[in-house]
Amino acid sequence: MGNHPANSVDKAKDAPKDSGQVKPFRIDLFKTIPFLKKFCKLRSFQFLVIFPNLVIFVFFLYAGLFGSRVGNRNIIIIFVWIFWWFLLITFMVPFASRVWCVVCPFPFFGEWFQRGALIKVRSGKTGGLRNKMFGLNKKWPKALSNIWLQDIGFLALCTFSALFLTRPIVSVIVLGGLFVIATILAFFYRQRAFCMYVCPVSGFQGLYAMTSMIELRAVDPEVCRRECKTKNCLTGSEKGWACPWYQYVGKMERNNYCGLCMECVKSCPNDNISVFARPFCGDIHVKGYDESWKAFIMLALAMVYAVTLLGPWGTIKEWANIAEVGNWKGFGIYAGIIWFTALIGIPAVWALASWLGKLLAGDRSIPTKEIFIKYSYMLVPLGLLAWIAFSFPLIMINGAYIISTISDPLGWGWDLFGTADIPWRPILPEYTIYIQILLLLFGLFFALKRGYDVSLTLYQDKSQAVRSLIPTGVVCAVIIFAFLRLFIG
Amino acid sequence: MTAKLVILGVMIVIVCALIPPLVASSSSSGGGEKREFFIKARQYAYDPPRIIVNKGDELHIRLASLDVVHGFFLEGHDIDALIEPGVRGFKLRHPSEGKEFTDVNEVVFTVEHTGKFRYRCSHTCGTLHPFMQGELIVRPNYPFLAASGGTVGILISTLLVIFLAGKKDKDAMPGGDVQ
Repeated sequence: MGNHPANSVDKAKDAPKDSGQVKPFRIDLFKTIPFLKKFCKLRSFQFLVIFPNLVIFVFFLYAGLFGSRVGNRNIIIIFVWIFWWFLLITFMVPFASRVWCVVCPFPFFGEWFQRGALIKVRSGKTGGLRNKMFGLNKKWPKALSNIWLQDIGFLALCTFSALFLTRPIVSVIVLGGLFVIATILAFFYRQRAFCMYVCPVSGFQGLYAMTSMIELRAVDPEVCRRECKTKNCLTGSEKGWACPWYQYVGKMERNNYCGLCMECVKSCPNDNISVFARPFCGDIHVKGYDESWKAFIMLALAMVYAVTLLGPWGTIKEWANIAEVGNWKGFGIYAGIIWFTALIGIPAVWALASWLGKLLAGDRSIPTKEIFIKYSYMLVPLGLLAWIAFSFPLIMINGAYIISTISDPLGWGWDLFGTADIPWRPILPEYTIYIQILLLLFGLFFALKRGYDVSLTLYQDKSQAVRSLIPTGVVCAVIIFAFLRLFIG
Repeated sequence: MTAKLVILGVMIVIVCALIPPLVASSSSSGGGEKREFFIKARQYAYDPPRIIVNKGDELHIRLASLDVVHGFFLEGHDIDALIEPGVRGFKLRHPSEGKEFTDVNEVVFTVEHTGKFRYRCSHTCGTLHPFMQGELIVRPNYPFLAASGGTVGILISTLLVIFLAGKKDKDAMPGGDVQ
């Protein structure tokens, strides 16, 4: 055993500047809440949290297939696209990282097939792993070992959002389709290739999990470096499965690709892995174009949704509502605007701002590409808070549907809990704008504050760092102004 | 970062947030006019989609549906209406009073609060029903003006404060400006 920090509050002020993390302090949750550690170390942990969710998911699919075709009378629409979405983006991601991935039912059958077990661990050898695994166990193609598929998949899916957000059967096709793809890929590729490289929900969760106020990390990374030769978190052991997300905790510095499945906690021979509470926006390094574009796409989609779903413009709703209206020309314009804004428009503005930042800093030795990628982190807190600001009206306006649908989940006229006939009534809708203002301004503040932390990893001189930040900072302020105009103006 | 710099930053944000509403307030011509609107509802929008009025104006709103039964729920004004197609007039109720709908030809009220208030369909009318809405803008739109000023304030104050904090650190370093 190494010298684990004795205190549960681990001050890491001396963390290297380029570690990609801002850590004024962190609190070891396994030490402060011993039950949490005990629960996470249970061999049945994953099964206990996924299986109930799987049952609910199957019921939602059933409701989508056989329940009411009216969206706001069917539980799959109300609970998935309003209730789940609100919880995911407002609470789960910012406060608990990828906690949704822990309970997500999509990989259930695929992982069961790969492991040949729901709970127990199989020792053995598969490739470089210390577990016996079934299936072809192919390596995921190197050219696709990034999140570009998730970027494009999510953009494509969201282009048709007016369909699956409102029609139960389309929701069944989308969710059921993802479930089938996840299962099929597990037959061919190692571990959770679907979650890592394909799942459209996983992509933005990974990016926004960088802001999360919890992290799974090594208690003392030095123990991993000096004492651990077996890397059981990555390769597995007789106590735990190899990391399904291909992560080595000893070097893990970001939340992006950790699904919090807790297998590493079980397999670590040094008991050196824990879950920590930390400040908002703890990870600050975006590491490639694929992640930068994910930030651009998410921001563009937040804007598009704000215009289409929360705006008053009937023409745009008609364009988006292709299945009912059939205006293909309008839909083409709508889709074209989304794809252009997300893939070209916002990135072009960002590239220009990055280049101007380089000029203002007066140091030409740092490539514009590096400034562009690193500063795109500013759009992570900004985008997340814009999404939360978008999602608040959804729940405050449509919350009554949640209460009525729980009594009549299929829209068949049931009244299980006596709430089926509760009339629709928004919850304090006139105050929503004040929540949105606070959220958006909070997002801008964190974009600038953490942007400065990023700039210090580029420039040693602090005045250079501030000067380089001005153009991208102005772009962030303009973006926030645009959201304010849409929501409040 | 010292407490003084944090206070400076907060003061900048507050001042920036206050300037636009104060300017708008001093230049506001005031309301009190009678304003008439005829709002037509159809799947999944209202025409006009936006109504812009001044605080104190007296609004006379008539409603009609061009296709199916729609609702008209106006945020912050205790107004909920049911609009049936092909029928002159509409049904109106005030949700806080909990009474049944009554038949009317128009709804009349004076706008007393500034800002944006959405009118939404309150009767399931089709697939995009939850997103069918229009906007009543009551000027001067103080919340928007203050938030816009606050945005500029946060931009200026954050950059200024981190610049001053960096300068202070640098000055405090032995050797001053030498990197």
